[in-house]
Amino acid sequence: MSWDITGIGAVAAIGQNPYDIFDSLCAGRSGLAELRAFDVDNYRARHAYEIDDRDGPGQDRPLRATGWLQTAVAQALADAGLDEQADAVPVLVGTTLREQRSAELWWRQKTQLAPSDLHFGTALRERFGTARTYTFANACAATLYALGMATDMIELGLADTVVVAGADSITESAYGVLDRVQNESPLALRPFDRARNGMLMGEGAVAVVVQRSGARPGGTHAVLRGVSMNCDASHPTAPDPVTIAAAVEDAYRRAHVRADDIDLVMLHGSGTQLNDAAEATALSRVFAGTGADPLLTAIKSMTGHTLGGSGLLSLVMAALALHRGVVPPVLGLENPIEEASGLRLVRGGAATAELSTAQVNAFGFGGINAVAVLEKGAS
Amino acid sequence: MTPETAVITGVGLAVPGLDGAPDLLEPPSGGGGFDPATGLKGREMRHKDRASRLALRAAEPALRDAGLLSDDGAYAGSASATAVVVSTNYGNLDSVCDFADIIAEQTVTGLSPLGLPHTSSNVIAGWIAIRYGMRGPNVTVCNGPTSGTDALYWARNLIAVRRAEVAVVIGVEPDTEPVARLLSEASERTVLDGAAALVVESATHARARSARPLAALAEVARASDLRTAVAEVRKADAPPVGLWLTAEETPSDAAPDTGAVPSLDLTARLGHCSGALGVLQCAAGVAHLGRGGSGSVLTTSGGAPADDAAAALLLTGIGAAP
Repeated sequence: MSWDITGIGAVAAIGQNPYDIFDSLCAGRSGLAELRAFDVDNYRARHAYEIDDRDGPGQDRPLRATGWLQTAVAQALADAGLDEQADAVPVLVGTTLREQRSAELWWRQKTQLAPSDLHFGTALRERFGTARTYTFANACAATLYALGMATDMIELGLADTVVVAGADSITESAYGVLDRVQNESPLALRPFDRARNGMLMGEGAVAVVVQRSGARPGGTHAVLRGVSMNCDASHPTAPDPVTIAAAVEDAYRRAHVRADDIDLVMLHGSGTQLNDAAEATALSRVFAGTGADPLLTAIKSMTGHTLGGSGLLSLVMAALALHRGVVPPVLGLENPIEEASGLRLVRGGAATAELSTAQVNAFGFGGINAVAVLEKGAS
Repeated sequence: MTPETAVITGVGLAVPGLDGAPDLLEPPSGGGGFDPATGLKGREMRHKDRASRLALRAAEPALRDAGLLSDDGAYAGSASATAVVVSTNYGNLDSVCDFADIIAEQTVTGLSPLGLPHTSSNVIAGWIAIRYGMRGPNVTVCNGPTSGTDALYWARNLIAVRRAEVAVVIGVEPDTEPVARLLSEASERTVLDGAAALVVESATHARARSARPLAALAEVARASDLRTAVAEVRKADAPPVGLWLTAEETPSDAAPDTGAVPSLDLTARLGHCSGALGVLQCAAGVAHLGRGGSGSVLTTSGGAPADDAAAALLLTGIGAAP
């Protein structure tokens, strides 16, 4: 079975829609800036990839992620030619932090917070009339998990059209603990570089419309071939290359492809010591002896880690890359790590190539992994 | 593809004062039951937040009830075919608020590195997977008042498409200071400090290992209002509803049948149950069927004026399952 991606939407630090974001990526334009959200004196790290829509430095406001989510979903529905009043369409939202930033502002600064603000259903119902909405807090694999569960809904006959979306804004608690545990304070997120020294958070939202194959006449952005999901069950924050490799191979099995069919890999590439080593090790093992030689890239080098939405944002960028035959570079990659020595990481500038099949990785806290395989759509 | 049917094969609770699911139907007469003051201590509880500890305490009796724990407490099922689905709305709210306080008062140098997992709302499901080595899909549903019922919907789907043979479904809410403050701004009611766990399993898998199904997870739906949700789960061939588990503020016009249906609002005794409610209701329904209760069991949540939707679930006895 396969599924059509018929609508896309996204906002991030480097663009207000998927096409602007893709153009920024190809041009090597980063969203990196000095931290705007919080009182910088309380942190060692001083950088992030934020969406610059606050009233002023240090002046945060509630429900920013909710607003971006509405924007991304509206873009995707319009792009798919669907009515914005999408009452009957299920919406699956993947997020790491939900509206925890709004909870912090309520707790610390006495802004308003209703229990219903924490998940996104109420805001989606107000804007789109939807009631079959589900918020999954599945860490940084959340949107690819949600995508997999959307394909399950269609396979089970529970829906023909599903919106999958994700959103996160940075929180003091998550930014702060990450800052506390990282030995150094990164000046940039540099996936797979020997000089990488950690993750920096980004902000954004993303949405796609997933439809039963052939449900909508006309073009598709991509054909989704399969999504795998599993869990390391070994450590709450350190990734495991064995389970990652198992997720990749399960995705191939579901998609009926082999490793040497993959032309492009959108890496999770969070820039931490552990992630990049584990991810490169897992892929090197999967590709070993298969003849696979795909191009690989990691968009977090320019978007920052957009957390729950990052997997689906990678997938949307993969769809555009397949169409255009252009792959954005890994910004800041100068000396690839040893574990990635056999991998064709794109660096220095965008690469052009004939591409038909892409793989997208997303991994999260709790040891959860999800991998999607998609093919170039017919536009 | 013929979807796999989901049945419930184990139930466990970690609710103050209660011993097991039957206590949800009738309050126990004597004292005893689960006591968080003593029950949340121990080596495996170290460095875990309150919600994770409550969830671990509920998971163990549920897995034992299902016959899926070996004598040494290890998980006896298939690691890669077992999913974990957790429902919670306030699970890590205490960590989020606590860390924000520490940063404001002491800068980030005051934070403990051990807090890193607790910044992410899926920490509970992660600890359950680690404790029992469950490597299947690991899902955290944070979906407001219907969240517990929604978690059962997704467990049922994961089994139906054969992503998992077994799904451990846990609804948990801790009574922490930020939760009490947030909810007291909305109402006077107390807040649950507990968890419920269900083992949901494919009927084929249960049969293959000669497990005893307690109930069939027949239908689950989320819809714009309670009447619609109830209509979606009420199939013409299902036995009449013998027990209706309601929630606070359940509109009375959503009654499933004409005539009087016995109903029970667990929140009247347990307080706000939020993301734990749907799983607790299902546990109560299993207990009702287990003691020979008649008909099927309907559970409903959400549907109040401030809620974004309503959810309904239908449990049937095993004799009535297709």
